[in-house]
Amino acid sequence: MSGPLAGLTVLEVCDELGQFAGKLLADLGAEVTKIEPPDGSSARRVGPFVKDIPGPNRSLNFWYNNTNKRSAVLDLEGSEADREAFRALASTADVVLEDRAPGALASLGLSPESLRAANPGLVVCSITPFGQTGPWAGWKSSDMVGLALGGPMMMNGYDPEDAPGAPPIRGHGDQGYNTTGQFAVQGILAALFHRHTTGEGQLIDCSMHEALSCTTEVGMPYWLYARQDVIRQTGRHAAAQRTEPWLFQSKDGRHLILYGVGRDNDSWRRLKPWWQSHGFGLQFDEPRFDAPIARQPGRGSPEAAEIMAEMGRFIAATGADEVYRGGQERDQAWGIVRAPDETLQDPHFHDRGHFVGVTGEGVEEPALMPGAPYIFSATPWELRRPAPRLGEHTEEVRAEAVRAAKS
Amino acid sequence: MPDLPLSGVRVCDLTWIIAGPTATRVLADFGAEVIRVEHAQAADAVRFGRPIVGDRPTMNNSGFWNYINRNKKSILLNARHPMGGDLLRRLIAESDVVVENFSSGIMASWGLDYLQLREIREDIIYCSVSGFGHSGRDKAFTTWGPTAQALCGLTFTSGLPGYPPAGWGFSYMDHTAGYSAAVAIMAALHHRNQTGEGQHIDISQIEAGIVLNGPAVLDATVNGRSWRREGMPPGNRAWEPRVAPHNTYPCAGDDRWIAMDVTNEAEWAALVMAMDQPPWAADARFATNAGRLANEDELDERIAAWTSEFTDYEAMELLQAAGVRAGVCQKASDKFERDPQLAARDWWHEVEHGELGPVTYDGVLPRLSATPGSVRTAGPLIGQDTHAVLRDVLGMSDEEIAETEAMGVLM
Repeated sequence: MSGPLAGLTVLEVCDELGQFAGKLLADLGAEVTKIEPPDGSSARRVGPFVKDIPGPNRSLNFWYNNTNKRSAVLDLEGSEADREAFRALASTADVVLEDRAPGALASLGLSPESLRAANPGLVVCSITPFGQTGPWAGWKSSDMVGLALGGPMMMNGYDPEDAPGAPPIRGHGDQGYNTTGQFAVQGILAALFHRHTTGEGQLIDCSMHEALSCTTEVGMPYWLYARQDVIRQTGRHAAAQRTEPWLFQSKDGRHLILYGVGRDNDSWRRLKPWWQSHGFGLQFDEPRFDAPIARQPGRGSPEAAEIMAEMGRFIAATGADEVYRGGQERDQAWGIVRAPDETLQDPHFHDRGHFVGVTGEGVEEPALMPGAPYIFSATPWELRRPAPRLGEHTEEVRAEAVRAAKS
Repeated sequence: MPDLPLSGVRVCDLTWIIAGPTATRVLADFGAEVIRVEHAQAADAVRFGRPIVGDRPTMNNSGFWNYINRNKKSILLNARHPMGGDLLRRLIAESDVVVENFSSGIMASWGLDYLQLREIREDIIYCSVSGFGHSGRDKAFTTWGPTAQALCGLTFTSGLPGYPPAGWGFSYMDHTAGYSAAVAIMAALHHRNQTGEGQHIDISQIEAGIVLNGPAVLDATVNGRSWRREGMPPGNRAWEPRVAPHNTYPCAGDDRWIAMDVTNEAEWAALVMAMDQPPWAADARFATNAGRLANEDELDERIAAWTSEFTDYEAMELLQAAGVRAGVCQKASDKFERDPQLAARDWWHEVEHGELGPVTYDGVLPRLSATPGSVRTAGPLIGQDTHAVLRDVLGMSDEEIAETEAMGVLM
């Protein structure tokens, strides 16, 4: 056992919406047991699949979102004996994490309140699209619908000249579920801290809509303080007024994000000779470029526009890697726009041991996937076990239920 | 007022800009005593960040700064002054957690790396949030939120095929690196509660983003398929599972949109009912998911023609009543003025700000039944708690404080 939550026991009744929260807990060292119906969590039917062959143990989406968990099949809908086993497990667990519709567990005789009555120290966290109450509590949602209603989506998109009439754009990767999972785990850990001092558990109501509604950075304060809605722009922050571009294309056709160019004298002194050594911005030695105020973009000065134009030409004539590393070596926080898998080619993250190999059905040679978003000095992360096969731990979990019922 | 779950936890908050303060906002919301240590000569740039209330920045009137720094205290301390450095060490000795999001190497240059922090307080939990982390060949490189998003793969996955990346129109990774840090800090507090042991948590903002696209990485390492290929990213259409319809559709009015996705045949039937069973929907080509995918352009045009007849909220009501997953692409104003769900759950809170009067905040989630987090105080005026913290936390007398102030330490 390793990780800061070693020794903590969690029962997870989650599909797509809640499984990332369970992964966070399992990756932090908790013993997370995923309770699945006989045909498996619906998340097992989400691709991509190993070699594109569907199967309950071949979903790479499931592999990633269920690391370090156990899987036990209990037919909560169809079997009173299995419901009784679930109650027994919950009577000795620290946390129950569930993402069923409001009232669904209660309709099976497994209400969070009844589980808590049998185990007062239990923390029960319910993740739902909209929360347990309110006019939308019974509505259906999805990752994209969550990102739409919460507001993040309306901030992502295009300048009209880049893509006329384009809709707001959803970033992929189930970020609505991911963000909600972060909040759910924050609530669970806060509740566990309280339990440490008082012994008292509690119920947690975690709404995806609320998680995303407060994950729009300046979007909300612009309304609350200035009664303005921000407008979306290509590859850069939505803003109250249009701002200068951040997105540039390199000689090898890759996009880079660059900004804050030459605003202060320090960075200007570093960047100017670099560009000039490549034959660009030779006019920047003229005194009209000396004052930082003349170089500020967004002020409409001809100098600022000239700098942006020259920099664009420099980038168009230079490889993306040289621009990125050259900028970073000159203290510019610039970046290349990479596809998710292209992060594998950056040796820096291998230096830190970020990627980890995993095997499973149809994959004998370890395939790399992202590890953890943190490095703990005392309680290091590890991949203790890959995502479980459907029902892989049913027998041992049923035995635990028998023991728990006797205790 | 009920107990707060993290009451009794003290955080020495050396963060600035967005990612670090977002982490400590979570801790403060749940009741930790978060003390932001500030220095007016090198003030947090977000204290000048838009939106600003009034004509000129005062360091206290940034709506954005107030938004991410509620429930916290602020003290002024010149840590480069020898006496200031000493006071900072005394504050660390009285703290459970130290958080910072400087570039890698800055804390060490102050003589405050993890081993030195441990000498001050053995069981300290020290969380650093930086672009690339504190190890690895490029640890000196730096990020802003948008850079991290570009480098980790998030920007790329947001866009229409054949167009430049749309990316994220805000620093999603400042939020998420902060959320990850808050999770890690609370997990470390749990470990300390069990064992008495503190530790260092090293968070790289880019890694906190790489982990948000794991399935896409596995598709490359297992199936040899990169997201950098024809037709990708798929815009608002589905990646996995491949279902149709799955898109945004225009509604009546200027730039109004509804997002909708149909994940099975029952939901398709529900959508057809909601649209009042138009003849085109009975076409055999649309009878199965495979057929709808093969004719996705036409399908989307047909649905768009239907949604255009309604306002976005009307379309959402019709679709949700029928059992279809659908939601308006809401703006900030929509959430505040029109969203009945947020209103019914008392999402908005007004508290008094020292310079701006009453200001509004969104709420705290998730909602804990016995010890909920809460919005108690607005973002602090710079240095408003300096005297109180020196007196109550460090046990200094009024004379000592006045003497320290006269030496130019508290600025």
